[in-house]
Amino acid sequence: MSRTAKILSIAFIALWALIALAPSVLAPGDPLAVNPAEAFQAPGTTHFFGTDESGRDIYTRVIHGARDSLAIGLAATALGMGLAIVLGTVAALSPRWLDEIILRVLEALYAIPSLLMALLIIAFTGPGVGPAIVAVGLSTAPGYARLVRSQIRTLKSSEMLEAATVLGRGTWLRVRNHLVPNALKPLLALVTLGIGQAVIWAAALSFLGLGTPPPAPEWGAMLSAGRTYLHLAWWMSLFPGLAIVFVAAGATLIGRALGGKARTT
Amino acid sequence: MQRYSRASRILGCAIALPLIGSLLASCSAGAGPDSTAENAKPVAGGTLVYASGDAEPSCLDPHVGGNYPQALVASQYLESLFTKDADGKIIPWLAESTDVSEDGLTRTITLRDGISFTDGTKLTAEAIKANIEHLKDPNTASSTGYLAVGKVVDIEIVDELTAKLTLSSPDNALLESLSMPWTAIESPKALERDQATNCASPVGTGPFKVESWEHQKAVNLVRNDDYVLPVGDTARADDKAYLDGITWRFIPEAATRYAALQSGEVDVIDNAQPDTIATATNDNSLGHLDAPRPGASNRIELNSSKAPFDDQRVREAFIRSVDANSGISALYFGTAQRSYSLLSSVEPLGYTDESLFGTDAAKANELLDEAGWTERDAEGYRVKDGKRLSLDFPVSTNQSVPAEQSLFEQFQAQAKAVGFEVKIQLLDLSSWYGALAKHEYDLVSAPYTKVGPSVLRILYHSNSTVPAPSGYFANNAQVKNEKLDGILAEAEQTNDEALRASLYEQAQKLVLEGYYVLPLYDQQNHFLYGKNVHGVGATTAVSSPIYYDTFITE
Amino acid sequence: MGTIAWAGRKIGGALVVLWLVATAIFIAIRLIPGDPAEAIMGGPGSQASAEALAAARAEYGLDRPLIAQYLMYLGKLATCDFGTSYSLKQPVIGIMGEVLPNTLWLALLALAAAWVLSLCFAAQAMRANRVGAWVGNIVEIIAAAVPHFWLGAVLIMFFSSMLGWLPAVDNGTTQGLVLPVLTLALPLAGFLTQLMRDSLSYAMSSQFALAARARGESRLAVFWRHGLRHAALPALGLTGWAFSSLLSGAVVVEAVFARPGLGRSLLSAVLARDIPMVTGIALFSALVYIVVMAITEGLERAIDPAGASS
Repeated sequence: MSRTAKILSIAFIALWALIALAPSVLAPGDPLAVNPAEAFQAPGTTHFFGTDESGRDIYTRVIHGARDSLAIGLAATALGMGLAIVLGTVAALSPRWLDEIILRVLEALYAIPSLLMALLIIAFTGPGVGPAIVAVGLSTAPGYARLVRSQIRTLKSSEMLEAATVLGRGTWLRVRNHLVPNALKPLLALVTLGIGQAVIWAAALSFLGLGTPPPAPEWGAMLSAGRTYLHLAWWMSLFPGLAIVFVAAGATLIGRALGGKARTT
Repeated sequence: MQRYSRASRILGCAIALPLIGSLLASCSAGAGPDSTAENAKPVAGGTLVYASGDAEPSCLDPHVGGNYPQALVASQYLESLFTKDADGKIIPWLAESTDVSEDGLTRTITLRDGISFTDGTKLTAEAIKANIEHLKDPNTASSTGYLAVGKVVDIEIVDELTAKLTLSSPDNALLESLSMPWTAIESPKALERDQATNCASPVGTGPFKVESWEHQKAVNLVRNDDYVLPVGDTARADDKAYLDGITWRFIPEAATRYAALQSGEVDVIDNAQPDTIATATNDNSLGHLDAPRPGASNRIELNSSKAPFDDQRVREAFIRSVDANSGISALYFGTAQRSYSLLSSVEPLGYTDESLFGTDAAKANELLDEAGWTERDAEGYRVKDGKRLSLDFPVSTNQSVPAEQSLFEQFQAQAKAVGFEVKIQLLDLSSWYGALAKHEYDLVSAPYTKVGPSVLRILYHSNSTVPAPSGYFANNAQVKNEKLDGILAEAEQTNDEALRASLYEQAQKLVLEGYYVLPLYDQQNHFLYGKNVHGVGATTAVSSPIYYDTFITE
Repeated sequence: MGTIAWAGRKIGGALVVLWLVATAIFIAIRLIPGDPAEAIMGGPGSQASAEALAAARAEYGLDRPLIAQYLMYLGKLATCDFGTSYSLKQPVIGIMGEVLPNTLWLALLALAAAWVLSLCFAAQAMRANRVGAWVGNIVEIIAAAVPHFWLGAVLIMFFSSMLGWLPAVDNGTTQGLVLPVLTLALPLAGFLTQLMRDSLSYAMSSQFALAARARGESRLAVFWRHGLRHAALPALGLTGWAFSSLLSGAVVVEAVFARPGLGRSLLSAVLARDIPMVTGIALFSALVYIVVMAITEGLERAIDPAGASS
């Protein structure tokens, strides 16, 4: 990746890391402070992004909300990918019968609509950040697992053949340390896409009333609350939406840059 | 190449525009037509399209279950024995006259002659018997109607139009109970069918009848051409409704529902959001019907059966720490008035005392110190004996509109300043009932619609803390006060109007001064309708509109 | 392998998957708090007496041991008896039959629209104009990042309330389909385009493509004849998943646009703890997914019989 791309990527990640870990630096106010007298104020000098229906400053809430929203996005994707790597690798490298069983299980999980899975999980656990992560992670895992499995299988047939003819024992380790990472590189782009998707998923759960409990300034919950007042206070919806798009877009572009590098090897 | 680039440019435009649109958005309900409407002459014909924001009922027969969405639709095809007149007095409707014995244990009801159900069956005393038995039958699974006729133990047919009801104890709320859609009168022949069939098309005496029910699409009602108006005289040649029929649709999304009304796709909507009401009434583009529901007001109840709210000082401290008035005026745009009463403003016997509910953070802090909650933990919440001052507040997304949820969030922040930790859980209806049944709540907002002050007994008598087999109980504040029990029982049995009023006043005073409840506002019941819709305003005793006088002009 | 053997394997696999889905749903629903008997007796907060609840439990076999319930459940499913909905008191098959066509129609239209949009975006990316390509890139990413409920609300506000061009709710006409289909299709189109991008640029810079260009063929012609085939394969492979995700999206879109459909039924069924409805819809979705997968695998074989491209 070019120097500018590298610098931009690092700056992007650093910015969001700062926002997520130390939001008070960029937004010193209290995201939960209500002030009914100042409800529904348009963006201006005192409130950069305006205020919501309870007079809370939206800029502060967007910045502080990064933690919950990004946590859900990252953790859910990590959970999903983690499960996917384990299942996909085991499936690709195991004997035929085990592969078939795992494939069927994956297909079954895949076949259940993700929203239904999320609904069932949250109906069981109750709403919250943790359950949202589990729900989104579990529902995206099967998709990634299939891709991991097919990637490894393609690589396996080519590398294994080579290695088997040229070298003797000890290949297994080399293949494993070399095979799996190389199979995963092209998935990087997908993972970053997935982070954006996970954040949106969490927003959909908030829309259905199953998201993080109030008054947490999670972006999805803010979007959901804002749509009731869309014609009256468009800023309540626009800025959390922009934040989601910004994160998703940035993650995608970074992923693409990283993925592009792998392609040349 | 040209074709594709143009197409994709247009597509690109089509995507960018809505996003830009949200930037440029300014609500304009549109300059409505002049209101020459008031002098419009009634014209027969046309189908009214109604869009409800509530969940589609699972059964069109309000005997089964018994919630407000059912009442809204059933008010068009079912009628009750009694109803409320314009002054709020209970008058006979399908009944012609009624009498009660000296000891209050026997109530006689005589029906009007000449009324039939839409399946041809004549309205006789048999119907009264069949309907009350239907309500009390466990297989019907009635919740609301069942409680309403709880004291009726036997029904005797005296003659074709007269029935005698025997009661287990005097019940001066019986007539009010029999004025609600949940105890409406259905055809005995229809009630004999299996429940699934009766749920799909209940048979009544109303100005409309159920033609068909397309699940999730609409309930189709058509005019009852044999309708007989029980009371009063219309200027009409016959008693028929003006409308040919009503299409009853369900549009749960508030923004979509309002957009459909603005564009004329629907004619009437309910559950109108406060800001849309304010806009519509300001520029006169839509008609507005404000019909607060009877029974209890919208209030927050404090669970006095467990810590920390078993201490009255802590209850008062919480109530004093929140500022309901500024929140309500900001969120409700003037469509809801603050209430300081347990009862709805349409209840003549409501008692109110504003002085009890002034916001006073200093007093709140004082009371909490007094009650022993003197230490604070690292996050600023009060602590006593190692336990944090924490309150569970399950909120049902079905029962609380977004504005109300926001109001609760404001309370959460204001109570925090004084040292309370309020944990709001947004739950679906099933989980919400589950949390209540398991006593996993300290605060709850549970509306209760019923005609008359007897709702106070349902909500605050200690018997109401005993759960039904499903786990449900109505006394969420867990008030167990012997004196109050006595007052409420007596109030329901006396025939002396003045005594009844005074007893109910005493009862309300006891509950309000015990700081068991934080009253907020009336149960909101707003309807918006297009400018071409006229004759909207008549309602049942539970404030659900009836579209008998309604007509549509072009 | 022969087609018959292939088909046989597919069907066998499908049955296994359906069985796994049925079992997963059975377990999942039983884990959710809430007494099913209550759901049968008209929902929470009911005044049902203890006898009525007991009777309901006996009638629906809820008082038998779990294994017995499971076997009864499987037995009924094998005979296509999905039982009676707890909340609507009508046969599940009947209700599903009523609402199913709407959702299927919506999903198919959205899938087609997403593909068309996606191809247009991809074609756009073929422009030599760097700025144009970049803008297209951004538009795709934004499209994929927009939540359905928000997009639907914005489209309604813009095209219904402000411009009055299109109706906000379903009124049976084709016009009523435009906004819901667009809401479902746009995010998917963004996602598909991004998927196609990589394979597309790879294919367009391959030896084959360069040779064709050297022969004088226009970029677009090469795109259509060569690039598209390679780009479309991974996207095609995801069609099964795409359809399934459209069914998920339908839950939200049907709620926002007040359209009858499977998504709305599913949502209210889960909220009402209506076990037969949830099972019916879940199994049906699984079946649809399997069928779509079979079709796309068939298509894949047709487009790329050698399986040469990964």
